[in-house]
Amino acid sequence: MKKELEHQFVSLLESNQNIVHKVCSLYTNNPEAHNDLFQEIAIQLWKAYPKFRGDSKFSTWMYRVALNTAITLYRRSKKQPKTQDFDTVVYRIRAEQYDPTEERQLKLMYDAIRELGDIDKALVFLYLEDKGYSEISETLGITEVNARVKMNRIKTKLRTILNP
Amino acid sequence: MMDELDLLKKDWQQREEALPRLSFDQLHRMIWKRSSSLVRWIFYISIIEFIVPHLLYLVPSFRNGNGYDVARDLGIQTELIVVTVIQYAVVLYFIVQFYMRYREISVLEDASRLMDRIIRTRRTVKHYVIFCLSMILVIFGVFIAGMYFSDNLVGALHLHPDADQDPVQLKWLVMGIMAVLAILFTALMGGIYFLLYGLLTRRLYANYKELKRLDH
Repeated sequence: MKKELEHQFVSLLESNQNIVHKVCSLYTNNPEAHNDLFQEIAIQLWKAYPKFRGDSKFSTWMYRVALNTAITLYRRSKKQPKTQDFDTVVYRIRAEQYDPTEERQLKLMYDAIRELGDIDKALVFLYLEDKGYSEISETLGITEVNARVKMNRIKTKLRTILNP
Repeated sequence: MMDELDLLKKDWQQREEALPRLSFDQLHRMIWKRSSSLVRWIFYISIIEFIVPHLLYLVPSFRNGNGYDVARDLGIQTELIVVTVIQYAVVLYFIVQFYMRYREISVLEDASRLMDRIIRTRRTVKHYVIFCLSMILVIFGVFIAGMYFSDNLVGALHLHPDADQDPVQLKWLVMGIMAVLAILFTALMGGIYFLLYGLLTRRLYANYKELKRLDH
């Protein structure tokens, strides 16, 4: 029974692991820390899995656990280097249809996002993942109106960075 | 012209292929590793904090005796027993409270409520530590009061003063040393505690404040 549950869970995690990797890429800036956070999220997901009832999608459920782990439960074990030597993952070099202006803008925006606080990052992350404000508000435990106001401020900030 | 943020969103959603990919076996191994989450750390440290004050009683000189002998000779045995009984009742209360708070923590809550619960659990431990520190002061206080009212301080403490030592002066000297020890010991224990939890929950507090700020 336990073995079956375990197998089922790991399969689900395997096919949805992108969500966790994306959270890790936002909240850490080197491969070691990335793996460390990934592992903690995987443990928290597995611990909470018996309570997963399947009335929401597994991926939706994952967002909450992954973000809670990143902004609340995770303890950064070592001081993380400030340098971003992990850009290769966060920032994809697209060989095809290469547009230097676009590329520069994206780089600036990703850099700006990395500088945001943990909570703002969570907002941006859910926005980039195309989540609605109701889901953002439920995940973070703030009102929808406030989530919207905050997101608009972040958007304005990002726009100012691009058009100073 | 395309909105810059739409551009960002599109790029973000396209870059999935660049993400690392772990195999079934790697993931399987991972879920059985030990968690090093903040909550687990708070749990461990709290257990240590509940145990440490009681470990002192395992030290032979505390268990059979010197403390109680001195208390008897000073005539404060009853007071000390009353204080000890109250202390254990309160400690028990705190352990039950802590366990209930700890059980309430769930990673499935929204972020704000999860932080709330962790902070409440931590606060229970904080109250416990403040209580323990106060008890240390109370017990030292009872001893100092006992010395003040004692007629035979030299005998009770098994002191061997010089013949020309003024008894009144000696009494104040011993009481002064006790008071300084009490304050130093309390400050040390308090310092260790607040440093430990301060470092542990600094980021949590920052994020908690940020969330609360958003909602006001």
